Amino acid sequence: MNEFEHLRQMRSLRTPVAPSRDLWAGIDERLDETPATRSRHLWTRRLAVAAAIFGVAIFSGSIALRLASPPESTNVASNTRWKPDDPRLTGAAVELATAHSELTQAMQDAPDSPALRRILDRTQRQQERLRQLDRQAG
Amino acid sequence: MPALAAEPSDADIVRAAAAGDRRAFEKLYRLHVDKVYGAVLRLAGFDHARAEDFVQESFVRAWQKLDTFRHDSSFGTWIYRLAVNTALMAIRARNADPVSIVDDEHLPDAADNPFCPAERDELERAIAALPPRARAVLVLHDVEGWKHEEIGNELGMAVGSSKAQLHRARSLLKRALGDTP
Repeated sequence: MNEFEHLRQMRSLRTPVAPSRDLWAGIDERLDETPATRSRHLWTRRLAVAAAIFGVAIFSGSIALRLASPPESTNVASNTRWKPDDPRLTGAAVELATAHSELTQAMQDAPDSPALRRILDRTQRQQERLRQLDRQAG
Repeated sequence: MPALAAEPSDADIVRAAAAGDRRAFEKLYRLHVDKVYGAVLRLAGFDHARAEDFVQESFVRAWQKLDTFRHDSSFGTWIYRLAVNTALMAIRARNADPVSIVDDEHLPDAADNPFCPAERDELERAIAALPPRARAVLVLHDVEGWKHEEIGNELGMAVGSSKAQLHRARSLLKRALGDTP
């Protein structure tokens, strides 16, 4: 038998094969052991991402605070797409908007989480503060 | 007449499963189990009990790792690779156990197992009788169409070793089938 004939025979074996019995029941049983772990894993990852972004946002916010003069109390509505006129505040605005977006997504998965709620509130306060600074700088 | 709702795509089903929808995951299982089972069955030397274990283990692992699936490839390709990897892990583990390695002299004798090209069963039996590592290389290269680089990566061996194993496996196969003097 030459190599071509050998390969032709071997490739002919490459066919789907149905198991002789339904394996789903056994798989389904074992999935019961895993979903909690999976959702916890997802939840931990998202919280970690949100926390990291929040950390960056705090850092950026502190830089922005140093650049700007003391704030006046103004009432500005929350808007994550907002762009500051002062280019020195742009980085902080982007970081805060990203943090806000990530936190909102995370809140959809865990709407009752007080930790996420606190971080989201703080992020929104930071965004408002940034808008005040931008007005003062302008 | 109202338009019929479109069937959800594989990607939609995967997203639903990744969000924890067990029924969606069952649908994925039903769609892909035959291809996965065929692949691991060949690697398991046509041992159905082992192949069933590999399939179950693969789908459980897929469920655990669904959130890491990035849709760069199809789910079918992803679960196929995961299942093959599961089977190869078992082969690697088995290879570490000298008792489980089948020596050349344990191969079925050509006289006892006459080769008949038309009979798939004979070929499968001969492949099943190969040493596990040689069989894995032969199946991955000659049946599944993998490259030596991919096989080397998955089995933790150099490309040259993969080629040598393939040569050995083909020789043993020919001998078992009575095709070599």
